[in-house]
Amino acid sequence: MSGFEAMAGREKPHAALWPGLIVLAAATLYLIALLAAENQRLIISLLAAGIAAVIAAAWFRLLDRAGRSFEDREDVLGGFAILAALAVAVVFHEDHFVLLLITTVLLTTVATLGLNIQFGYAGVLNFAGASFFGIGAYTSAVLNAHSALPHLAVLLIGGLLAALIGSLLLLPVLRTRGHYAAVVTIAFALLFKTFLEVNDVLGGPQGLQVPGMKILGWAFNDNMSIGRISLSFYINYFMVSLLLLIGAFILVRRLERSWIGLNLDALRLDETAAGCFGLDIVRWKITAFLIGNFLIGIAGALFGMVGSFVAPNNYTFADSLILVSILLLGGIGNPWGLIVATLIVVIVPEKLQTIQEYRFLLYALLVIGVLLFRPQGLLPRPVRRYFPGWRP
Amino acid sequence: MASPGSRWNRHSGRITSPRLRGDVKNPPSEIHRSSQDDIMDVGLFTQYVMNGLMLGMMYALVAVGFTLFFGVLDVIKFSHGDVLTVGAFAALASFAGLNALGVKSQLVDLVVMLAIATLAMAVLGMLIARYLVMPLRSAPALNTLLITLMLGTVLRESVRLFYPQGANPKPFPALLPRGSVDLGSFNLRLDNVLMLAAGIAVIVSVQFLLNRTKLGLAIRAVAQDQDTARTMGVNFTAIVLVTFAIGSSLAAFAGVMNGLYYNEINFGMGLYLGVIGFSAAIIGGLGSIYGAILGGFLFAGLQTVGTVLLPFASAYKDVFAFAVVIAIMAWRPTGLIREKISERV
Amino acid sequence: MIRPGKLSAAGLMAAVLAMAVGAAHAKDKVKVGFIGPLTGGVSVNGIGGRNSADLAVKLRNADAKAKYEYELVVLDDECKPNVAVQVATKMAADKDIIAGATHYCSSTAIATVDTYHKFGFPVIVWGAVLPDITYRNKYAEIHRVNGTMINQNDANAELISSLGYKTVAVIHDTTDYGKGHNEYFSKALAKIGKAKIVGTFGVTAEQQDFTAELTQIKSLNPEVIYFGGLTPIGVRIRSQMDKLGIKAVFDGTSGIVSDAFVQGLGPLAEGTLAFREGAPTEKLPGGKFFMEKYNAQKYDNPPEAYGAFAYAAMDMILDTIEKTGPDRKKVIEELGNVKDRDSIVGKITFDDHGQNTVPVITKYVIQDGKFVEWDESEYATGKRKLPGQK
Repeated sequence: MSGFEAMAGREKPHAALWPGLIVLAAATLYLIALLAAENQRLIISLLAAGIAAVIAAAWFRLLDRAGRSFEDREDVLGGFAILAALAVAVVFHEDHFVLLLITTVLLTTVATLGLNIQFGYAGVLNFAGASFFGIGAYTSAVLNAHSALPHLAVLLIGGLLAALIGSLLLLPVLRTRGHYAAVVTIAFALLFKTFLEVNDVLGGPQGLQVPGMKILGWAFNDNMSIGRISLSFYINYFMVSLLLLIGAFILVRRLERSWIGLNLDALRLDETAAGCFGLDIVRWKITAFLIGNFLIGIAGALFGMVGSFVAPNNYTFADSLILVSILLLGGIGNPWGLIVATLIVVIVPEKLQTIQEYRFLLYALLVIGVLLFRPQGLLPRPVRRYFPGWRP
Repeated sequence: MASPGSRWNRHSGRITSPRLRGDVKNPPSEIHRSSQDDIMDVGLFTQYVMNGLMLGMMYALVAVGFTLFFGVLDVIKFSHGDVLTVGAFAALASFAGLNALGVKSQLVDLVVMLAIATLAMAVLGMLIARYLVMPLRSAPALNTLLITLMLGTVLRESVRLFYPQGANPKPFPALLPRGSVDLGSFNLRLDNVLMLAAGIAVIVSVQFLLNRTKLGLAIRAVAQDQDTARTMGVNFTAIVLVTFAIGSSLAAFAGVMNGLYYNEINFGMGLYLGVIGFSAAIIGGLGSIYGAILGGFLFAGLQTVGTVLLPFASAYKDVFAFAVVIAIMAWRPTGLIREKISERV
Repeated sequence: MIRPGKLSAAGLMAAVLAMAVGAAHAKDKVKVGFIGPLTGGVSVNGIGGRNSADLAVKLRNADAKAKYEYELVVLDDECKPNVAVQVATKMAADKDIIAGATHYCSSTAIATVDTYHKFGFPVIVWGAVLPDITYRNKYAEIHRVNGTMINQNDANAELISSLGYKTVAVIHDTTDYGKGHNEYFSKALAKIGKAKIVGTFGVTAEQQDFTAELTQIKSLNPEVIYFGGLTPIGVRIRSQMDKLGIKAVFDGTSGIVSDAFVQGLGPLAEGTLAFREGAPTEKLPGGKFFMEKYNAQKYDNPPEAYGAFAYAAMDMILDTIEKTGPDRKKVIEELGNVKDRDSIVGKITFDDHGQNTVPVITKYVIQDGKFVEWDESEYATGKRKLPGQK
């Protein structure tokens, strides 16, 4: 089929569905097995088997095919991914801790998606991701305890507040470049944590308890049972987080493919040239920064309610660095890569008790390895498709 | 209902545990707080100045390191602060070794510790340059920044995990003479004076090295224009390694000084000092040694002013200082002493 | 082809042997939990507590009359409230863990109270002294074997006043622990009315540099500096006091009763006051027994100030599970009926809030690098004098 026909829109998707489905199904089963395993030796052998499987798949070019089928058939595969997530939840419907872990993964992914808009698309450095996450969390803590606002509105307010406080940093962020820009957000990250710690109004170092979520009278923190099956109350949070992730993912994807994304990419790749072509750099940087912070803030607000506890020590510079390393590991700019990287970064240390102590060290070493040998990350961002069905 | 002097107890917005606050009765009337009278006597003032000078010296040492690295390779080596930590721990380990060998003289202890720390960190700095920073020269600057950030984490965690009981703060021996002179309400300590003098000596010698020696000439050449320097016969790799060695030794020196000043070291000290040193270097303008020194003392000054303004919550000094840093970045994006940037478009 | 006869004979023998061995280990496994600060500045206390709890489990497993075989699950709360909530959630969410002995740091214990209640997980606190932990809510899950800080601060204020000191400056950390000490000490001192507080300073739990506060304090010139906080910053404050030439008495709480305090300060620790509820370990009713068994296990760390309480807490949990079986609800119910139970720390009775009363308060002064009881020290007899002691 000629490129002309492709451009005309009468194209068929090139890639088959099955590689993507196989990879998705295999990944889901693997995840379920990993989450269910308790014995340390079993976990270590599972991890080794997983790494071996990935290397083998890369060798047999299955990963390339899967990648292509994800690109072409993203909507369908996205639907299947949602089913996969629901399947995992059903398998672990009674297990509090696993559900909590999965909800953490979902919300961390939303936060890194926000960071992705800033870093990955617009090239705006933000080393204070955890601080904005914390702004959202503290908002939900304060508003839930002291006002009668509906909790969904609290989520939105959390995001708005994060965006608002982020706008305080706009002037320095816009005027600086490179290392100097890094300093601004790092200074803010440290400032924020110290501010929370010395400030008694917001609980100081002791933190605040966050009342659980209640939507339309349905209290999230009560355990439920359907017939003879008792469900962990974390299922409620899981559902809301999943919805949030779906929304954020779709937003990020649409943003990337739209003219907005094009502007952001141009801005990131070469600011001077973009300016010469008439792009309003200031406007796009502000947009990316604020939207990113908004997403991070919403995720933080929900996470505060899930954990029912917020404290300054949760939102330090080191935590911001973890978000950045997730971004790097997964492949800057690729939302699917983010999901994979978040799963690795959140779940593996929890399961592998023996390395719990060493986890910061191992993350850092992993990221150094990635930066030295595969700077584009696990799942590098594919080339932008300018026309539907077009293949580079 | 608040106990005297504690501002923070008065906040009614406290969300948890109102019980903790409700029942304290006012202690008897005479509450004596000299700071409220707004007179600060000369002794108190001098004490603050002295504190500020000591802090400024330590920040300046770290900031000079940052500036050197940036000047030579256009990199921000974020692990600098953690190199400081490793240096301090290396000194502590050598002290333990010396003790085991039965060496009793404090002077010998001090000299040997400093020597080992600075040499070891020089080697570490060279290794970092050779294997982590130089290979990434062609990659975007962000990657180098990130790799050095992660390296800093590796260093910090390694100290925490592999040094025996590394997670606990460790007492650092007080090796300087302990005499002190009381000038009114100001207590002038001999060890502070010695450290200040030593720090100044080190900075002056670095300046001398850079401005009056051939090595310094080579370093400045490479910092100014890499390619031309190479065509002029300067061994680029060697110069980079030497610069990193110098910078890391400075960090080790600052680490030992920090240990002597607080009589304690812990694995997290480098992160804080590193960020402050970096901010100080930025304020002063990257690439300028004078700027780095200025930035170091300026930051310490900001912290001291913050402490004076808010005497009852000295932790706010950091909030104050970092806020000012952000404000300065907004006003002068490349620091107070402007960096001359030319960018290939 | 393998000779089936020989194989099946061997197989039969192996099966019989396995059954015999299996029959001897027919006890069900039950998991119990321990949470304490295993890393960070107060880790010696956490590790001491862990070893003590481990001792209790080991002794019980060695006891042939025990109905179950116990496994101790240990988690580290790092003395940080956020980490504590995470590990508490982890432990409480695991349905296999029946009960736990938890927390040395008050800041962590108060943060996790709601978590344990949410999951219905029975706990016995072994080292945290903040009263709010048991008294803020009436949660059936929360119990505590050691005392609260009210009594030690009463004794503290009494000693200071009786020694004739008139001016006190207070430094406390800004966690609920430090704030609690500040509150109760101020109240106690005000009640006696002989001394007054000239200034109160809140510091963060990880603060490095105290020159600002201490410079202020120097200008206030108090005779005593009361410190409500834990060992790491206690060490720093004391040594920086010396650097600034402040010659006041350093008066601490149970938070500094730890060998790490003495090791961190060396000769500077001399003349420091401290208070703790409960008799010193050797003088407890079961103290000798505990120390004997503890030393026999050759742990790396001493049990520290609260090890005996950790042992008592774990022992009580094991006793309760033996009685009611591995069922969280039944354990909670049974723990609600604890009255005059014997233990190595004396008789334990839980009141309606789950709190045990520990009547004895030990007053310590550091003399020659050791924590010595005040009444037996040379300071009480007048042979040595605290700074400014009349």
